[in-house]
Amino acid sequence: MTRRLSRRQFVGRSLVVGGGTIALARLLAACAGGNESTAELVIGTPDAPVTLPTIGEPIADNLPSESGTLQIYNYADYLNPETIAAFEAAFDVKVTVSVYDTEEVALSKMRSGSISPDLVVGLTDSVLARFVAADLLQPLNRSYIGNFDNVIAGLRDPYYDLGAQYTIPYVIYGNGIGYRTDRDIDTSVFVGNEGWSALWNPAYEGRLAVLDSYRDTISMALFRAGVFDPNTSDASALSAAADDLVELATLTNPKIDILSYQEIAGGGRDIALCWSGDMLAGVGYLAEGESPDVLGFWYPEVTPTGNDFFSIPRTSTKPVLAHAFIDYLIDVDNALNNQSYVGYQPALEALTAEALINAGAIPDSLVGALVTPERYASGKRFVSLSPDVDALWLDAWTRFTTG
Amino acid sequence: MNGSQRRTHASRTWRGYALPGTAWLAAFFAVPFYSVAAIAFGSIDPIFRNARPAWNPLSWNFGTFGDVLGDVINGPLRDVFVRTVLFVVVALVLCLVIGYPIAYHLARLRGRTKTLILLLIVLPFWVSYLMRMLAWVNLLQRDGLGMRLTAWFGVEHNWLDGSPTTVILGLVYGYVPFLILPLYATLERLDWRLVDAARDLGASPRQAFWRVTLPLSRTGVAAGLMLVALPMLGDYYTNDILSRSPRTEMIGNQIDFFLNAGTQPQRGAVLVLMLSFVLACLAWWYVRDNARQRVAR
Repeated sequence: MTRRLSRRQFVGRSLVVGGGTIALARLLAACAGGNESTAELVIGTPDAPVTLPTIGEPIADNLPSESGTLQIYNYADYLNPETIAAFEAAFDVKVTVSVYDTEEVALSKMRSGSISPDLVVGLTDSVLARFVAADLLQPLNRSYIGNFDNVIAGLRDPYYDLGAQYTIPYVIYGNGIGYRTDRDIDTSVFVGNEGWSALWNPAYEGRLAVLDSYRDTISMALFRAGVFDPNTSDASALSAAADDLVELATLTNPKIDILSYQEIAGGGRDIALCWSGDMLAGVGYLAEGESPDVLGFWYPEVTPTGNDFFSIPRTSTKPVLAHAFIDYLIDVDNALNNQSYVGYQPALEALTAEALINAGAIPDSLVGALVTPERYASGKRFVSLSPDVDALWLDAWTRFTTG
Repeated sequence: MNGSQRRTHASRTWRGYALPGTAWLAAFFAVPFYSVAAIAFGSIDPIFRNARPAWNPLSWNFGTFGDVLGDVINGPLRDVFVRTVLFVVVALVLCLVIGYPIAYHLARLRGRTKTLILLLIVLPFWVSYLMRMLAWVNLLQRDGLGMRLTAWFGVEHNWLDGSPTTVILGLVYGYVPFLILPLYATLERLDWRLVDAARDLGASPRQAFWRVTLPLSRTGVAAGLMLVALPMLGDYYTNDILSRSPRTEMIGNQIDFFLNAGTQPQRGAVLVLMLSFVLACLAWWYVRDNARQRVAR
């Protein structure tokens, strides 16, 4: 039996719902508080380096190291558990690692206070300005980082943070194509910008991947078309790149993820747009007894390069220990030990291509994946985009990912 | 107190017991849903790119909603919506084809076998959905057990090549128990004497099924399909794990991207509202159908 509402009941209930909505809106607004940002972004580019505004003071010199647990916020599989264990033993502390998927998520969670780590690993300059504007980072005290001179000379005073006030470089990498050398990959096409066209080869359908990172994948399509600006605001160039990526999707049905370091090594895929460090990390994911020579990497002449860095949050409860961890990781031996698991190339002057090969860290087939100082210097950098330009990039990405 | 008064008193008592739970559910539905609406009709912080919710409905901005609606009607999101609905419809049909005979058979069983089969149906719930999907990746990868098994039968197929078939089969595998259980509950309560009567009156087993059993189990079928369709429509991790290719992108993946990875959470919130509208329509159809069934009885 269905019961119809009388007009009086309808009006009464409508008032209750309307009143409830207003009350709910006021309650939520009161709980949310003010969220208007008044900060200003200071964004450095290779052509216009910046000194970031110093907010607050670094910790004082000669403080004793804290005890207890150091909480690190990092990408998955981006620190060697053995290196962490060695640090724990050396400093008689415990280290826990929380994982973030994207820098946007890290920024959002740290701003909301839902996570308050003592050290953040893996951020890049594309979000640094926002972290500083949100007052999330503290200036570093270099007196605790005695190994700072081990860092690659070109990164001791980086364009995004002149004076390295907030950041210490962790690893460096460049974009390229990773592939299996024991499969039918036509490597003769890896010449000039045309090399990127390998990813449009329908012969690789179902065996190919691109990065689940809109900046990296769209830039690849731009570079293939001869547009060497990974921060372009040219709507027509971005639209053409989206068209090219839609064509790529039609021809090869690519996977869109960041798992090529596992998948190519595991044999589940044959070719992918990836970061150079992915192939170096892939060595650790090969089947037992399999030669590392099955992994190959094409490093284009013109490609994006970048580096991740360490930084210490303003709210760190163990800043001295966090400084000590950074110092520990940029020690050459410890960095080499960490690299043996992470794969990515430490941003240290002493760990040249020759040094890594001599140390047995890099197989001959992947020497081409190493970022030399010259490659790093000539690489293109991603910088923060304005919201309007970012929207253009996201529109292009949506067109590609929706098939 | 006479019988009528006792019944009224009991009814009020039970309403009282249900009040805290109802208030809890209402609050935890209303607050998150209103928050999503406030984000969808709010703005984006130009510096930090996070959502700035507009809590006051009078200051709601419908610009992003219009843009996304345009993309859904005649843009890149149209294909995603159509694909999602198509995947779900095919998966529902397969779930029904697989699930109905199991539920039917189960309803006719007695004793230990019935308990055992019920246990086997419930068993997958002991392992998280995510883990079960990851297990499938291991089984279906190039040197996985599943691949070796199918190769042994002479079928060589790369199941993890990003094809819609794998995603649909993943959805069916993940959700079919949700369809079997309500269907079984309905079939078990079915008055089987009506089927016997149909047979006595000359109906063949097939006719008895189509004309008696199936119509009488319609409520269970609808409940099972509803229970399965709702999570399937918003599902994103089945595709994320088994495919993650543009040809299998579902609406849940776009929501996940905009809310978690992108810098336009508003678009994600708008898509949540649109998906919620589709789900509300389904739920409304289900409630209405149920009410009609009760009136008919």
